[in-house]
Amino acid sequence: MLLSAGVFAQDEGVTLKLNYSVAVPTGSFKNDVINNTSYRGFGAELMYHFDNKFSLGLETGSQDFYQKYPRQLYKTTDGSDISTVLSNSIQAVPILVKGQYNFLSEKAVRPYVALAAGGNIITYSQYAGEFSNDGKTKFGFAVRPEAGVYIPFRKYSRAGVSVGAGYNYMPFNYGGIDNLNNITARVGISFPLGN
Amino acid sequence: MKNYSIVPVVIATVFILGSCTKDPVKNLSSAETRLYITNHDSTANFSSFKTFSISDSVAIISNNHLRDKTHDSYDSLTIAAVISGMTQRGYTQVSNEQSPDLGINVNNIINTYTGYVDYGSYYSDYYGYWDPYYWGYPGLGYYGSYIGTYQVNEGVISIDMFDLKDAASTGKIKSVWNGVIRGEGIFQNANVNSNVQALFDQSAYIKAN
Repeated sequence: MLLSAGVFAQDEGVTLKLNYSVAVPTGSFKNDVINNTSYRGFGAELMYHFDNKFSLGLETGSQDFYQKYPRQLYKTTDGSDISTVLSNSIQAVPILVKGQYNFLSEKAVRPYVALAAGGNIITYSQYAGEFSNDGKTKFGFAVRPEAGVYIPFRKYSRAGVSVGAGYNYMPFNYGGIDNLNNITARVGISFPLGN
Repeated sequence: MKNYSIVPVVIATVFILGSCTKDPVKNLSSAETRLYITNHDSTANFSSFKTFSISDSVAIISNNHLRDKTHDSYDSLTIAAVISGMTQRGYTQVSNEQSPDLGINVNNIINTYTGYVDYGSYYSDYYGYWDPYYWGYPGLGYYGSYIGTYQVNEGVISIDMFDLKDAASTGKIKSVWNGVIRGEGIFQNANVNSNVQALFDQSAYIKAN
């Protein structure tokens, strides 16, 4: 009886998870805007665990996308020709509600599926040489299905590491761009807050 | 005991890490910062012109006012580079008194404020920078085809080419070509030739034959 009460206390509660993430642009985002993989992504998740399977919480962070194109001649709408090195720079700051479900919740390695939805604060800047357009900051809808594995440090612990991958669906209509969709891979370390 | 106080610290740390963004400007070489912008009158037939004359000094135009005309080593190199470019395209240099078909002015535009400059006003003041009398057409006004609007708080090299051949019959000195150089290092002598050459390279239609 005492033992089961102890297990219960470990399963329920709040966990903070810190992520490092890599993002690979896909589709028109990759073809038209940025095809470099972003290795500059960080995030944090604050999750409430209802039991050892289901948790719900909030996620935020930042992912930085950047691409410099070699010098090229561009024709502008007013008829002039501009030879320039064009750079695109995009920062996405997600504010998402996330739900996660762990399978095999007694095992050392626990597969999980998760769904995060909400929005991104997106800052988009384009540079012609050293000259920036004014940049644009927009809030855009975002949803991310995700799957991975969670490996607790101890059997009855909410502290552990997780490795996962997901697809960031991010519509973004601005300046000829229609989405910033990307595949993300992430590693995280989580630890319980409180007792 | 709950240690939720760590949450804002962690969130702040994440945002500090997140702010480690790649700075696009710092990631450019000096040459990569430069812009070469050309525009031309699409109705102009450049092979109808055979001769050109170029002003022997550079106008320093600050906030749409002529400040000075200079002829230092940088100015000489720039003028020589334009002459070289025109000669390579088959045009013959003549003096301004020999009825050139094309007149070319070189300007160093320095705008010390940030904002959008309408180059319409650049052209409306143009007679103040370069008196049409110099080209033998006193009383005629310059007619700018366009340059557009640029956000400027910097020095810019602007090279203007005007149709003098048709000035008497049309009653105006019409701009047929404009080349603009912007960015780092544009006032260094070592970069003059490549910068002027870049303008010609992207203006293949400038040819006498």
